[in-house]
Amino acid sequence: MKKKLLGTLLAATLVTSLVACGSAETTTGADTSADTTAAESQAPAADADTSADSAASGQSIRLVNGKIEVDEMLKEAAAKYQEETGVEVIIESMGGGIDIQGTLKGYYQADNMPDIFVNGGDTDFANWTGQLVDMSDQPWVSDTDAAYKDADGKVIGFPYTTEAIGLAYNADILEKAGIDPAGLTSPAAMQEAFETLDSKKDELGLTAVIGYCAEATNLYWSSGNHLFGIYEDGGLSRDDTTYFDLLSDGGQIDTERFLEYAKMIQLFNQYSDPALLVSGTYDQQILGFASGQYAFVTQGSWIGATMTSDDAEQYAAAGNFKVGMAPYAFLDGIDTIMTNSPSWWAVYDNDNKDASLAFLNWLAGDEGQKILVKKAGFISPFKSCSFVADDPFAETITEYTAAGKTSAWHWLGNKEGLAQNALGVVYQDYASGAIADPQSFTDIVAQVCAQYYGQ
Amino acid sequence: MGEGRQVGKGVRIRGAICTVIGIVIAIYVLFPFYLVVLNAFKAQTSIVESPVSLAGAKFTQLLTNLSSVVNNSNFNFWYAFATSAVVTIVSLVLLALLGSMAAWVISRNHKTKWATAIYMVFIASMIIPFQVVMLPLISTFRDVGKFLGISMLQSIPGIVFAYLGFGGAMTVFILTGFIKGIPYDLEEAAAIDGCSPEGTFFRIILPLLTPVITTVTILNGMWIWNDYLLPSLMLGQNGKVKTLPVAVQAFVGSYVKQWDLILTAALLAILPMIILFLIAQKQIMKGMIEGAVKG
Amino acid sequence: MNGLGKKVLSPILLIAGILMMIIALVLDFSGAETTLRGPMLIIGAVLFFVGLYLFPTLRYHRAIVYFIFLFPLLFTFAVTVIIPLILGIGYSFTDWTGIRYTQVVGFANYTAMFKDPAFIWSVLITFLFVALNMILVNLVGFLLALLCTSGLRGGGFFRASYFLPNLIGGIVLGYIWQFVFSNVLIGLTGNISMISQTKSALFAIIVVYIWQYAGYIMLIYITGLTQIPGDVLEAAKIDGASPVQTLFQVKIPMIASTITICTFLTLTSAFKQFDVNMALTNGTGSVPNFLGNYLSNGTQMLALNIYNTAISKNNYALGQAKAVLFFIILAIVSLIQVRMSNKKEVEL
Repeated sequence: MKKKLLGTLLAATLVTSLVACGSAETTTGADTSADTTAAESQAPAADADTSADSAASGQSIRLVNGKIEVDEMLKEAAAKYQEETGVEVIIESMGGGIDIQGTLKGYYQADNMPDIFVNGGDTDFANWTGQLVDMSDQPWVSDTDAAYKDADGKVIGFPYTTEAIGLAYNADILEKAGIDPAGLTSPAAMQEAFETLDSKKDELGLTAVIGYCAEATNLYWSSGNHLFGIYEDGGLSRDDTTYFDLLSDGGQIDTERFLEYAKMIQLFNQYSDPALLVSGTYDQQILGFASGQYAFVTQGSWIGATMTSDDAEQYAAAGNFKVGMAPYAFLDGIDTIMTNSPSWWAVYDNDNKDASLAFLNWLAGDEGQKILVKKAGFISPFKSCSFVADDPFAETITEYTAAGKTSAWHWLGNKEGLAQNALGVVYQDYASGAIADPQSFTDIVAQVCAQYYGQ
Repeated sequence: MGEGRQVGKGVRIRGAICTVIGIVIAIYVLFPFYLVVLNAFKAQTSIVESPVSLAGAKFTQLLTNLSSVVNNSNFNFWYAFATSAVVTIVSLVLLALLGSMAAWVISRNHKTKWATAIYMVFIASMIIPFQVVMLPLISTFRDVGKFLGISMLQSIPGIVFAYLGFGGAMTVFILTGFIKGIPYDLEEAAAIDGCSPEGTFFRIILPLLTPVITTVTILNGMWIWNDYLLPSLMLGQNGKVKTLPVAVQAFVGSYVKQWDLILTAALLAILPMIILFLIAQKQIMKGMIEGAVKG
Repeated sequence: MNGLGKKVLSPILLIAGILMMIIALVLDFSGAETTLRGPMLIIGAVLFFVGLYLFPTLRYHRAIVYFIFLFPLLFTFAVTVIIPLILGIGYSFTDWTGIRYTQVVGFANYTAMFKDPAFIWSVLITFLFVALNMILVNLVGFLLALLCTSGLRGGGFFRASYFLPNLIGGIVLGYIWQFVFSNVLIGLTGNISMISQTKSALFAIIVVYIWQYAGYIMLIYITGLTQIPGDVLEAAKIDGASPVQTLFQVKIPMIASTITICTFLTLTSAFKQFDVNMALTNGTGSVPNFLGNYLSNGTQMLALNIYNTAISKNNYALGQAKAVLFFIILAIVSLIQVRMSNKKEVEL
């Protein structure tokens, strides 16, 4: 019997060591844990002079992407890159509903940091102070105005696309209704256009004038970030941060400006599709616009990708109509749309950084841009890029940019979680009628911001 | 005679009413399951148009949905399923084995101070909510992992280790109660026959524990298989290693609310539990009752 | 042979095990970069235990076996529960960031959380939710138990189907119900989903909770009811007691201890409610005027508030302090439970 027991214990030893080996394997797979990267780093260290590419063959880097809609295209780019250089790029995509910075912090805690990851703005970058690679010496830096620079002027964010936030419209429908989109630069003009469209709903085949959704659990980012951002930057010149600064200073709101803005949101509440307004979904919103049911939609240029892929069938059925963007003209004379890189990719300072930088360089070059622009529909932030996106919104963005009629956006620097934990619900309440009028909406937003910044 | 028939009729009517009520409640309880199964057979558009009716349900659509869920690289169903299965099974086996070993030692020394102290600490720890230890747990595991050079987070062994720690108290508590009821004479007789203490445990005590180990395993199994918070914190919400609940959350949490895929994923996630329940219905219900009454 | 083998093998294993552990620990402390130190430590520990087990002694053999049997579980328990608990309580008095802390802040975290109306709201609705659930789940569970024991046909089927929701994990279940509320029941509620308005969303969470939990409580009540001796019920019948009288004067008093068990079971599990809350509403919902403030976390229970504070708002120290308070509340509830069930046993 004792022999049996001894046998059991020895078997247990074996199992334990196997488990231990298993765990070592797991970490190799994860690639980011300190010990394995340390082991791997010995290779590049040994022949430091060889180019990153050859030293890194068989190596793999991991990129956390925040745009789940281009997941496939990025994977395609990664496959192409691996074909060319042998370096595997693992794309990990997270959707807008996931708290990406929260997840990344979890990764940091778990010692599982990706090599390249997305950062939305000042708040996000501030989470990683001192841990990101300074990319100022990279060749692509001189080729763009959209790189993210920290307070010291060091480039720490790689711009990968340009996005625009404006009041997207269906040009065909506006034309049929006899509305000139170029004239939509004042609250009165918007009001009039909405009324005209509303009266012709049946003949134009519209369900509602505008597809605006203020649902707070899943779509808080649309109302609490993008639409709130219109108050912060609408109509301002690109370097004007008056209202952003005011907000940063204890969560203050310019109530006079906000009240006018609140009236515009009221207009959206009034003319949006009731089935979408309070409890709708993003898919529903885009589908409604793509299939010609809404003349306007309160989403930015990124929906172009969805319209031409997931919703291609319905978009074609609606005649692949021309789209454009009007300013959110809540004050007389606002004639700009907002454009920016929606977020940037930063390189985590670890032993894979050379491989990561090499990959970003490749992306900024011809091969990479071809996939990003032609396939993913990105509007290139790089001046030397000769590709033009098929994206339905590419034209309108180019026009506004050429005319110098763009504002920047600064909502990325709002206090972390403001939209998710505070503002989204206020917009939802306003939409459902629980907040009755623009004045109360203004008061409550002012109160909520002050409270959130005061914490 | 006539009266007897009357009574029989009354009982029958009462029975019939009860059955009707029972069926109505059963329909309410099972309705969400029906919706999940039904809509897994549909495409997104027909789900949005008519979520309750049979219209648009096609078997081929189920296959389409299944393949898009299973092949979705962000969901990675089989991998998540396998991870969950390995984590659950290994944790359960170790909990049963190590738990009975510890419980036996405690109950055989229950008159000594140290055993009583250990037992009391185990019992007292059962009131500790996970929330109060979860944040320092992650940092402790990270530090231990760094120190030892074995990844404790982001790894299956790490999470099994955590389940041993969290499940240990309840396991030992239930097992100790049972072992105390086993007459000591049995072991003394074995000892007189020259059997070593460990031999006595493995040959005599352990086989006697089968029913209570079943109970413990069911209780722990339900908890570990369905647990979300612990793996989401230890493995990351969308990390390399994912258990099934974490994978579902990561898949569904993305803003693309494709209900056809979400409900198919939900179906895949609940199916193993339901099959297991159909097979071992009696044991599972009995185990849950005993766990409640003893805990 | 056996004895001799042990005499030789045991010290070798013991020494080898200790040596390996020491080397591994030295490597750890010196920060040397080698992947082997972890497995080395584990193998060393196992060798040590085997050596200890084979140690040629009759006198201490039993003690050694006891030690080896107890050690693994105690070790995991200490690392996952005891150490984090102590650290956690300590961290709640500092400015901990989840990674390090720079200073001790005393009770600042605790005073901060009581100044936050959103947190007070979370505490209040958690208590409300717990109280309502305790009553409703027990009531529904008990009624279901009566129904299932009232001699209806196919009792086994009903029992199994009522219990079924309890098998499903909270995350999956929350999403299934999100679908039910937002896509199916929305036809009844007129374009506004139940889960987007605070009051109806709280109601929705309670409905889902009852749906999930009542079947389990029912099972326990069925056990209690079937354990009532048949002759007692027979005697009541002979005395001419109506079914209602039998219920209130015989059945309910007879299952008093079962009621206590179920009450506390629902109490503690409702307090810890997290998964469904997260998957169903993620805590959103507006409260127009609470202590003069507009709140956005109308449906956020305590457990989710703690998680949100630490993970989403990145305030680990405050989250940890809230968690400690949560622990204290649960500890008090449990102590009351122990008191009450002891009393009941004395009465019986």
